[in-house]
Amino acid sequence: MRLSHVGGNTVGRILEGIDLGYTYPNGYKVFDHVNIETYNNELIAIIGPSGIGKSTLLRILGGFVKPDHGEVRLLGKKITQPTPKIALIHQSIVTFPWFTALENVKLGLKYKKLPKEKEDEIARKMLDLVGLSGFEDFYPKQMSGGMRQRVAIARALAADPVVLLMDEPFAHLDELTAEGLRREIYSILFNQGTSLRSAVLVSHNLNEVVELADRVYVLNGRPASVVGEVKIELDRPRKPKDDRFQAYLDQLYSLLTPVEKSVEQKDRGKQDV
Amino acid sequence: MFDIWLAIYDTLLTLGRVFIDIAFAIVTGWLLGYISLKSKTFENIYISLSEIFESVPVISFFPVVLIFFVFSIGGSLGIELAVLFLVFTAVVWNIWMGIYQAFKTVPSEMEEVIRNYRFGFVGKMLRLYIPFSMPRIAANLIPSFADALFYITVSEVFSIGVKSYEVPGIGTLIAQYTAEGDYTDAIYALIVLGIFTTTITLLLREFAEYSVKKYGLDTEASLKSFKRGRFRIRYSARLSNSKGVFAKLGKYLTKPPYFTRQNRLMEEEEAKKRKIPINMISAGIGILLLIIILYGAYSVIISVKPSTWSYLISTLPQDLIDLGADYIRVAVISLMSFIFAVFVGYYIARHTNADRVIVPIIQTFSAFPAPAYFPLLYGFTYTYVSSIFGPFTNEFYVLLLGFISTFYYVFYSFWMGVKNLPSEYWELMDNLKLGFWTKMRKIILPATFPYIIAGMSSTTNSAWGGLAIGEYWPDIYQSQTLEVRTGLMKALAIADNQGNLALVGWLSLIFAIIVVIYSVLFTRKMMDLARKKYVAEEGIYAA
Repeated sequence: MRLSHVGGNTVGRILEGIDLGYTYPNGYKVFDHVNIETYNNELIAIIGPSGIGKSTLLRILGGFVKPDHGEVRLLGKKITQPTPKIALIHQSIVTFPWFTALENVKLGLKYKKLPKEKEDEIARKMLDLVGLSGFEDFYPKQMSGGMRQRVAIARALAADPVVLLMDEPFAHLDELTAEGLRREIYSILFNQGTSLRSAVLVSHNLNEVVELADRVYVLNGRPASVVGEVKIELDRPRKPKDDRFQAYLDQLYSLLTPVEKSVEQKDRGKQDV
Repeated sequence: MFDIWLAIYDTLLTLGRVFIDIAFAIVTGWLLGYISLKSKTFENIYISLSEIFESVPVISFFPVVLIFFVFSIGGSLGIELAVLFLVFTAVVWNIWMGIYQAFKTVPSEMEEVIRNYRFGFVGKMLRLYIPFSMPRIAANLIPSFADALFYITVSEVFSIGVKSYEVPGIGTLIAQYTAEGDYTDAIYALIVLGIFTTTITLLLREFAEYSVKKYGLDTEASLKSFKRGRFRIRYSARLSNSKGVFAKLGKYLTKPPYFTRQNRLMEEEEAKKRKIPINMISAGIGILLLIIILYGAYSVIISVKPSTWSYLISTLPQDLIDLGADYIRVAVISLMSFIFAVFVGYYIARHTNADRVIVPIIQTFSAFPAPAYFPLLYGFTYTYVSSIFGPFTNEFYVLLLGFISTFYYVFYSFWMGVKNLPSEYWELMDNLKLGFWTKMRKIILPATFPYIIAGMSSTTNSAWGGLAIGEYWPDIYQSQTLEVRTGLMKALAIADNQGNLALVGWLSLIFAIIVVIYSVLFTRKMMDLARKKYVAEEGIYAA
C-alpha cells in the first residue's frame, strides 16, 4: 500500500474536522466527507490540485464558513464562528497601512481588553519572536513582503491561538525570503513563548510541505475527499537533497496524479472484481 | 382638473434639458480628455480649473448666468440657455473628471495595440477610449441625473428684482400649482415626476451594471492612489448594490495612470515626427482658455464704478459673519449626514437583504428633487414642527432641506467604502473578535477614510445648494416665507431678488474665494492624507 496511514490516536487531539462537505453557491459540490485532525505540537499540511477547495476547507476549520454538513471541534468543543483561538494567516499578506508594526500586532490583543502597558509588552515580545525587534515603529509600507508577513504572524500569535491556519503564507514572497521564513517558521510557531498547539498549512508547494509538515492530507477527486494521508518522518532541519525527502515528494506527487486517471483505474478495478 | 398630459409633457421637457446637458458634458468630456492626453500644459490647466470649479457650488455660477445669458442674449433663448448652463455646471465636473481618469487609466498594453495598428483620432476614440470610459460615465449618470434634477426644478423659475423669468417644465408647473394653492394638482404633478425619476433611476442602474460587465476590465492594477484629479466617489456614489460591480468600480477609483514615463516618451517622439504639432495646438487651446477666463474677470472688475467698489467693500464684515453662520449650518448638515452614513451605511453594507431593498429606495429618493416637494412638506408639517422648535422652526427646515438634498453623497461613499473593504479585513475582524467600536475606530473608519473625505466634500458642497434654496424662500407655502436670520445665501438671494447684481457678484466672489481656500487648505489636505495613509487595498500585499 502506498499510503502511510496514521490516526486512531485520540489523545492530544487539538482540532477536528468531522465529515465536512461544502457546495459553492453555484451548486458545485467541491468536497465531501472530509475528515481532518491535528494533534499536539503538530503542523499538518493540506495539499491538492487547484480549485479543489483547500482554502474553503481552511476557512471551515476556522469557523469563517459554515459547511453543508459535518462539524469542527477545537479541543472537543464545537466551533460555530471565528475565534481568536484559531488564527488565520492569509495568502495575501494582511496588515493595516495606517498602523505601525507594533499597532498592527496590538490589534490581536484587543479582545482581551488588557491595560495598554501590557498590550505593548506582549506585542513587542511577539515582534521579537518573529525577528522584528527594532522595527516596531515601521509602517507596513516601509517593510518588505517578508517583514509584513512576520507582522501578520506576530499579530496572530499575540491573540494566544491554539491553532494557526495558514493559507499559502509564502505564496507572495520571493523565493529567497520565503525560504528564510520557512526555515524559521517552525521554531517560531512551536516556541515556548506561544500558546500554539498545532498548525494547519495549505500549500501548492510540495517542497515547502515536506520541509514543514508533520503530516500531510492530500485532497483529490470530484467532489474532493482525502485520498491520502502521509506522515513525514524526517528529522529537522530537513534537507531537500536528502533521498528520503525526495521519496516523500514522489509519494505526494503520485497522490496528486490527475483524478480522471485514478477514477478510471478504480472503475476498472471494480469491474475486475 | 389635473391635466396629466401637460404634466407628462412638462416632465419630458425638464428631462430633455437634463439629458441634453449630460450628453453635452459627455461629448465635451471625451474631447477634453483626449486633448489632455496629448498635452501636458492643457492637462494642467484643464484639471486645475476643473478642480477649482468643481469645489465651487452651483450657486456661484448664478451671476454669470444671469448677466450673460439673460441680459446679453435675452429673450426666451437667453432664459433657456441660462437654465441649461446652470444645470450644466451641476453635472459637468463629475462627468469630465470621470472621463479624464478613465482615459488616464487605459492600460498601456491596450494603448500599444491601438497604436500598433496606427488608428487615427476617430479610430482610437471608437475602439478604445470611448468604450473604456463607459463604466465611469455610466456610474456618473445616476448622481449627475439627480444633481441636474435638483437644480433644474429651481432654475426653471427665477426672478431678478421684480422681473420673473421662467421656462416651461415640471419645476415651473409645480411652482405654479403651489403658488395658486392648488396642492392636490401639485401632488399629482410630483407623482408624475416621481414615476419618471424612479423609472429612469432604475434604468440607469441597469445600464451601470451592464456597462461595467461589458466594458469593465477584470484585471487588477497596482493599487497606488491616483495622483491627478480628486478621488471620484461622487460619480459612482449611487450605483447598484451589486458587490461585483462595486468592487470593480472601487478599483477604478484607486488605479494610477497607466501612462508610464516610457510610454509618454514614445508618444512624444512619435508626435515630433508628425507634421501637425498636436501638443502645441492643445497647449494653445489651454492657454487661450485661461486667457479668456482672466480677461472676463478683468473686464468685470474694471467695469465696476469706484463708488460701487467702496459700497461693496463696506459690506465685507457683515458678509463674513453671514458666511460664518452658513459654515456652521454646513457643519451641522455634514455632521448629521456623517452620523447617518456611518450607522445606516454600515448596517446595510453588512446585511445583504437590507442592502437589496434600502439602496434602490435611497437612490430613487435622492434622485427625486427636494425643491419640488419641499414646499408641500413644509406646508403640511409646519404646525407640528413649529410647536416643537418654536423660534428655530425655520432653522430646522433649512437644515432639513440641506440634509435631504445632500446626505446621500457621504452615505453612498461610506457604504461603497465598506463594500469595498478587502474580504481579508472582514475575516481578520471576525477572527480577532473585535467589538463594534473597536472595528469602527481601528479599521472601518480608517479604511473608508478616502471614501468618507470624498463623500464629505461632495456633501459639504451640495449643502450650500440646499442653503441657497432654503435660506430665503419667499411664498414657499400660502405666502409664508422660509428665511433664516443670518446667512450669506440669504443675503445673496435677497440681493438677487432686488436686482442688485453688483452685490450678487460680490457675495459670490467672496463665497468662491473662501470655498476655494477651504478646498485647498482642508479638503485637499485630507485627500492627500487619505491617499498617503488610508488606502485599505495597500494593506493587502499580493506580489
